[in-house]
Amino acid sequence: MNTNPDETKLALWLEDELKGEELAAFEQWVAGQPEHHAAREEARRWRSMMAAAVPASEEPPYPEFFNHRVTRAIREEPPVPAVPAKRGFHWQSFFMPLAACAGMVLAFWLGGKNASLTPEIDVAGAPRAIPVEPILYTPEKGVDAEWFTSSKASATVIVLNGVAAIPDATDFSETAFLRELREMDATAGMNPGNQAMEP
Amino acid sequence: MNNSSNEPSNVPRGSAGSLAAGVSIEDPDDDFGLVARARQGDLGSYDALVTRHRGRIYAMIRNMIHQEADAWDLSQEVFIKAWQALPRFEAKARFSTWLYRIAHNVVYDWTRKRRIESAGELNDGIFERERIDAASFTTPSGGDSPDDTMARGELRARIEAALAKISPEHREAVLLKDVQGLSYKEIAEVMACSIGTVMSRLYYARQKLQTLLKDEYESR
Repeated sequence: MNTNPDETKLALWLEDELKGEELAAFEQWVAGQPEHHAAREEARRWRSMMAAAVPASEEPPYPEFFNHRVTRAIREEPPVPAVPAKRGFHWQSFFMPLAACAGMVLAFWLGGKNASLTPEIDVAGAPRAIPVEPILYTPEKGVDAEWFTSSKASATVIVLNGVAAIPDATDFSETAFLRELREMDATAGMNPGNQAMEP
Repeated sequence: MNNSSNEPSNVPRGSAGSLAAGVSIEDPDDDFGLVARARQGDLGSYDALVTRHRGRIYAMIRNMIHQEADAWDLSQEVFIKAWQALPRFEAKARFSTWLYRIAHNVVYDWTRKRRIESAGELNDGIFERERIDAASFTTPSGGDSPDDTMARGELRARIEAALAKISPEHREAVLLKDVQGLSYKEIAEVMACSIGTVMSRLYYARQKLQTLLKDEYESR
């Protein structure tokens, strides 16, 4: 059976951090081991030298002003919210999740019931388009419009009655906007004879 | 300003402090009464806490960054942050240990910002002390002769120069242990690491410092 203390305990003893029963037990074990006592003396000598040379506490310059600045900064900041008290058990905290779950189940059940009443659901699950009578608007007076569906052409055809015949001379290119292509040239806009530069 | 006590009381009084019902731990610094009143918004009590702990926090930060003006500002930041976090202080540790923890974060945040501002030069040069002004540290106490004071001032300058040559983590471990007198457990809380890590850091830090201070250390 290994009765040797662990490294942590040895380190704590070297730093004089063991107390009470732990210290007594360790002292018993370490009694016949001078090298550990020597190491402890070494550690004490080191700490003593450090503590003597480097002060643990040193007043900051202008200590009154130091406090004043801290107090002023605290006063200027928004108030610290108080620590919320821990809530005890309340019946609402138990029933609220249950009520939420029951609500969700009811909503799903009602949704499912309504869905089963809807007749037109295709295979993919998407609802089919409901046929709607189109409304045709003709801005010109005396012009009527009719429409029909051509299953052969797989198209909807609109027939306009009362529209004046379009003359053959109409140039449709005038109704189209064509971007004028210009060559980028640094001298564009300048007259050949440098007239633009003259007063 | 409340200046009733300029130095923290380090004498264990065996008093048990508590902030709330059910919480009761040793409070050798006798801070918990002031902390409890400060948590109720009593600025006077908090001012007393600042007065009590400012010396240790300032010394710790100053020894970490070696810049007096920045240490002054950062120490204030510690107390302002501590006030903001006071509602979350649960008295599981001493108030002073909690302050050291905040100081640790403030110093490392500051260091990180300085590294970013210095265009990503990722080295520990920020912590290094290029010049040592031994004269600014002389705080003669009553019983010392001028020779003793001068000798201690010189030793301090050498120790600080040696501290500047080790890594910030090692330096912090040595300062908290050998200067501030914290236990391994408290240092682990401050540095947010395991006790084993603290032991390792402290061991290597002391080895390095003893090598750097070989002449000084062996003559004693």
